[in-house]
Amino acid sequence: MKMEEVSMSSLDNSKLEALAQDILSDLVEDACLGLCFEVHRAVKQGYFFLDDTDQESMRDFEIVDQPGLDVFGQVYNQWKNKECVCPNCSRSIAASRFAPHLEKCLGMGRNSSRIANRRIVTGNNNTNNKSESDQEDNDDVNDNDWSYGAEKKAKKRKSEKVTIPPFNVQHVYYLVVFVHSNKSM
Amino acid sequence: MSKESRMKATVNQKLTEMGERERLKELLRAKLTECGWKDQMKAHCKEVIKEKGLEQITVEDLVVEVTPKGRALVPDSVKKELLHRIRTFLSQHGT
Repeated sequence: MKMEEVSMSSLDNSKLEALAQDILSDLVEDACLGLCFEVHRAVKQGYFFLDDTDQESMRDFEIVDQPGLDVFGQVYNQWKNKECVCPNCSRSIAASRFAPHLEKCLGMGRNSSRIANRRIVTGNNNTNNKSESDQEDNDDVNDNDWSYGAEKKAKKRKSEKVTIPPFNVQHVYYLVVFVHSNKSM
Repeated sequence: MSKESRMKATVNQKLTEMGERERLKELLRAKLTECGWKDQMKAHCKEVIKEKGLEQITVEDLVVEVTPKGRALVPDSVKKELLHRIRTFLSQHGT
């Protein structure tokens, strides 16, 4: 049965407002009923009170807020002051420094090979100072005008490792030539 | 049937046919959950159930106890928003 449609322009504003309120009321009622059904089903199926915890468990897992402990109550800086004995060199090392120390001690980390290489280089320089120098090595030095040492290897060296190469035959030769040329002037 | 009730029936029919009723229902549900109304109501339900007994509780019990409080607890902002949408619909599809 088709109902006769009534135009709303015939209604004034207050009636329109009342209509809107009515519709809202219906919708709210709907929502409440929906909730009741939901709850009732949950009760009868047994899962309504599932997320409730008893007081004792709540106390057991409460967040810990004490100094020196994390939220679970565990001690977190336990290893700060402990010391370990290195199995390689038998020294006593602080726990936080232990891993890097082992790396160098055993010669296994990324850096330890670099350090070893450096030591080889400076080791060579030290032995040159004591014995007769290799002519081929020092030729390179003489090709650079009067500069000593540093150009031999491109790497930067620490100040205490800089060695002055010996004053050798070639240097003496140049000096003699220089003096001689000055004399002739 | 009075003019108003015929009016109301017409509007309701239109609301349903155009799917607006369903959309409004969903909107209301979402807003009520968002503002915490649902949690409040659930807590109230727990009290009612503890009072009446878990095994004995019926839908009727819940409806009677819970609906009046539910109506009262809807926040004004939610009401305003829903009314606005309803009014818009009424003005657009008035004839």
